[in-house]
Amino acid sequence: MTDTPKMSARNVDVYYGAKQAIDDVSIDIDTGHVTAFIGPSGCGKSTFLRSLNRMNDTIPIARVTGEIDLDGEDISRMDPVQLRARVGMVFQKPNPFPKSIYENVAYGPRIHGVAAGKAEMDEIVEKSLSRAGLWEEVRDRLSDAGTALSGGQQQRLCIARAIAVSPEVILMDEPCSALDPIATARIEELIDELKERYAIVIVTHSMQQAARVSQKTAFFHLGKMVEYGDTSDLFTNPQQERTKDYITGRYG
Amino acid sequence: MNSVWDTEQMARRIARRNKAERRFRLLGLGAIVLSLSFLVLLLVIMLKNGLGGLDWEFLTGSDSTDASTAGIWGALKGSLLTMAVTLALSFPLGVLSAIYLEEFAPKNRWIDLVEVSINNLAAVPSIIFGLLGLAVFINTFGLPRSAPLVGGLTLALMTMPVIVISGRNAIKAVPPSIRDAALAVGASPVQTVFHHVLPLALPGILTGTIIGMARALGETAPLLMIGMRAFIATPPDGITDPASVLPMQIFLWSDEIDRAFVQNTSAAIIVLLVFLLAMNGLAIYLRNKFEVRW
Repeated sequence: MTDTPKMSARNVDVYYGAKQAIDDVSIDIDTGHVTAFIGPSGCGKSTFLRSLNRMNDTIPIARVTGEIDLDGEDISRMDPVQLRARVGMVFQKPNPFPKSIYENVAYGPRIHGVAAGKAEMDEIVEKSLSRAGLWEEVRDRLSDAGTALSGGQQQRLCIARAIAVSPEVILMDEPCSALDPIATARIEELIDELKERYAIVIVTHSMQQAARVSQKTAFFHLGKMVEYGDTSDLFTNPQQERTKDYITGRYG
Repeated sequence: MNSVWDTEQMARRIARRNKAERRFRLLGLGAIVLSLSFLVLLLVIMLKNGLGGLDWEFLTGSDSTDASTAGIWGALKGSLLTMAVTLALSFPLGVLSAIYLEEFAPKNRWIDLVEVSINNLAAVPSIIFGLLGLAVFINTFGLPRSAPLVGGLTLALMTMPVIVISGRNAIKAVPPSIRDAALAVGASPVQTVFHHVLPLALPGILTGTIIGMARALGETAPLLMIGMRAFIATPPDGITDPASVLPMQIFLWSDEIDRAFVQNTSAAIIVLLVFLLAMNGLAIYLRNKFEVRW
């Protein structure tokens, strides 16, 4: 691990109009492990996640202050298109394009012009689908619609789509909340494999999931980051009263 | 336990409710039958009067003072040229406006004002557009009178708001998750719109366009104002030649004193209706064929 963290946030505030959704959050995120954001609904964990690849730019009333760096570079000065290629995102509800499985994965590389020719594109598609653990299931039907897959397969397709543009960070916004337990288990295994290559941040409302997949956990409450530390410490020996109350099920 | 449901009173209540259901269904059916029967009556009268006049000579001839040699081709060609101008202008303008308003425009008071204006524009009486066309295109820009160019420009002004409104609705119906997906792999906003949103909205946009065009095809009043009611005995060769259009031809013939023109009028109505039905049919076909279900 290098000295500069992959991503670091310093004193980040997010406002929706006059309402403050995130209050003074600072955090470092590194490659090689999974960082989980937990907290009750409306605590701002998804909002903060969407700040990390400037998806909040698409909401006209949202305003982000403070500094977020990727490899030491301020993302607010980066081109959002390039930033989002480097910081990929997987959403709560699987959202494949209503196109073929192949096209879903090939779209990102194509618009960024990273594949020279069909053979190279085929290779990227196969590699991405393999890493997302979907290749064996779909290799014979790449031209079928991505929307015809099952929910869990669709989500893995979305992960393959994110991987295809070679991101450095992958943000996952409650990626399993629309999936059944078996599909969830597959995604969790996948996250565990992917963490070697990418810095992964996962927002989850399930404390069990955070405990299973993450090495670091940040607990958010009412727009503030209450506690951040190793997952094992945070769940067994929380430093803050509010964290303890939340993980023991007192509220949330 | 069943005591409440077993009473006489409850049975009466349920019987009354069932009766009300039947009454409503009959009422609805009656409304449809009543309005459709007028349409059928119109069709029957037109077919009876006009079918005899629908021959090759009628379809290929132009207007004439003699009812037996008068034909529809001149007016039909005028309509087609006018529609071509209307489509070429209103479709790109309407679609671009719809995309801008829905996807790019900042949310502020000025944009609200633009929205209200466009919605109002769609409700402006067509004769006003005719006056506008006369004042702007003919008197100010000096474009030729009675020409499909001016007719098309005027009708484009009328059709544009219809396309904007239907286009915006179609764009709005594309789920936001698709935009998120495209942006998250690094597509620019314009790429997101043209690669993902527009293809999904296109069936809806086309449906709205065709319906707007069908309305323009049947329009008469604005064209009166710009002089497309002249007696035209030769079909127009281009968009600057004097021309008439189908509904205008129907209006002119229905005004003739000679009884022989009654058949011509009905035959022309049949031709116009065939075109309108074909356009509406195309709209329905496009909607069913290309609509993506989620």
